[in-house]
Amino acid sequence: MTAAAAPLLLRADAVTVQLGGAVVVDRASLTLRTGELVALVGPNGAGKTTLMRALAGLLLPASGNIEINGRQLETLGQRERARAIAYLPQGHVFHWPMHVAAVVTLGRHPHADPFSRTSPADRDAVTRALQATATEVFAGRRVTTLSGGERARVALARALATEAPMLFADEPTASLDPRHQLVVMDLLRRAVRAGGAVLAILHDLTLAARFADRVMVMDGGRIVADGRPEDALSPAQIAKVFGVDAINVDTGEGFIPIARHPL
Amino acid sequence: MTPDEPMTGLDRGDLRLNAALVVLVAALAFLSLLVGPAALSPRTVLAALMDGEGIPGIIVRDIRLPRTVLAILIGATFGLSGAALQGLLRNPLAEPALFGAPQAAAAGAALVIAFGLAGATSFAVPLAGIAGTMLAIGSLLAIAGRRASLTVTMLAGLALASFGGAAIALILNLAPNPHVALEIAFWLLGSLQDRSYEHVLIVVPFLIGSWVVLGMTAGAFRALTLGEDAAASLGVNIDHTRQAVVVGVALGVGAAVAVAGAISFVGLVAPHLVRRAVGSDPARVMLPAALTGAALLTAADIAVRLVPGPVEIKLGVVTALIGVPFFLAMIFSERRLLEGNSAP
Repeated sequence: MTAAAAPLLLRADAVTVQLGGAVVVDRASLTLRTGELVALVGPNGAGKTTLMRALAGLLLPASGNIEINGRQLETLGQRERARAIAYLPQGHVFHWPMHVAAVVTLGRHPHADPFSRTSPADRDAVTRALQATATEVFAGRRVTTLSGGERARVALARALATEAPMLFADEPTASLDPRHQLVVMDLLRRAVRAGGAVLAILHDLTLAARFADRVMVMDGGRIVADGRPEDALSPAQIAKVFGVDAINVDTGEGFIPIARHPL
Repeated sequence: MTPDEPMTGLDRGDLRLNAALVVLVAALAFLSLLVGPAALSPRTVLAALMDGEGIPGIIVRDIRLPRTVLAILIGATFGLSGAALQGLLRNPLAEPALFGAPQAAAAGAALVIAFGLAGATSFAVPLAGIAGTMLAIGSLLAIAGRRASLTVTMLAGLALASFGGAAIALILNLAPNPHVALEIAFWLLGSLQDRSYEHVLIVVPFLIGSWVVLGMTAGAFRALTLGEDAAASLGVNIDHTRQAVVVGVALGVGAAVAVAGAISFVGLVAPHLVRRAVGSDPARVMLPAALTGAALLTAADIAVRLVPGPVEIKLGVVTALIGVPFFLAMIFSERRLLEGNSAP
């Protein structure tokens, strides 16, 4: 199935977000379809997190329109929205030393009846998320006892447990060692293959080029490029947006951008 | 997943814990009916409780029972309020008294009593207490904001508690009648001595309201473990949760302080004692925290009657004398975490 023919999950038109009077996201338009892993890249302060939060319904745009499955985002109920979009914020924070299984079960919150126990469907989804992220081995441990890489996987398992059609992940690979960065990207790939769509903010352009079907580049609140990795991350584009002199290296399985020298 | 690791709701371990705590509260309640200046045997107390006849009937039913009932209800309310504030702020050091809640409640209630606006067993007193608490906790959450950093929360709480204290001082200062001022000063120390069924009746509706409001937000506290953004993305209405905590804590602490005076630190100690037993789950901690609070306050109220002396030691004095060292010990044991908390 080609990407263009896959069902449209999200459409944003000219979304503008203001924070404290400043325009942080400036008329951003984008789409997200089933089966796509889209990387959102850009320098610090480009507005990536703010755009993602607006798309996830966590803050209200000053103008513009966001549609989820053809329905206006703001008309969706909070639980309905939560079942459509799983959101993994930066930092992988766990405020209480809860057990891993209990943390991952939080992903079922949008499905849960507040007055009943966890349903068999919830249990199955949690088990699948634990297995997918290979975290079932420490399901009974407290999250605070885990390493950074393990915590990142647990945080991702929590988001996957929702089994929402869309997953928004804000820097899922930040502060992970190279192997765990690949592990997490591979998990996102697999979530896409399982029939979802992933929008991930990434700082590592190499990872973005390698794993994403499509790359969106943000700069100064605007989406300045949106397309195949080799186009969106061309040396000219990287020089313009990041101020880095880069070359594209063909690895045989695709190309990756590499910085030639700093500044 | 381990089979006894619950996903949500109560599991067998929680049921055992809560059942044990219920038994403990019941045992302490009976002990509380036994203790007092008039020596009554357990058998006499039981008989008096059943038939209410004669002098023992009056002592047990009209003097000791209201006091015991209030200790249980108010202790449970403080335990639940502490657990709720801790759940909302993701902070094990949250406690109504550290945020000026009892001080503000006492200021509201004292204002009504000092200027003779209403009698001590009128609904106006708890209502004034609730208004004071709502102001304090509402201001605290407004100042602490979404990120609820520990430093900002604690400093704002300190300021609000000081302001509540200053308001009380002003009321005592301006009280039209020195006897009333003295009465208020003693009442502020916190006590359940000589409380009647009228006191029980004027607080019970508010306390039950508080339990219902706080109990309904428990699921949100669990989601807040992941931070406010993640909780919101899971469908939790953060604003409603904050408002519910303000209303729930205000109803509970405001009404409790209005009849019992300023009692502090039960809300800090009770959740801490049971947290590990429920896997640090901020929702599952609520019921055992309430039961532990009931047990703690009943035990403290028994203790004040057992200490020999010409005057009874005030309940609020005892809870603070035990609670503050407990608080310091918690700061000491978590200081590594607390020092790390100042970083972004």
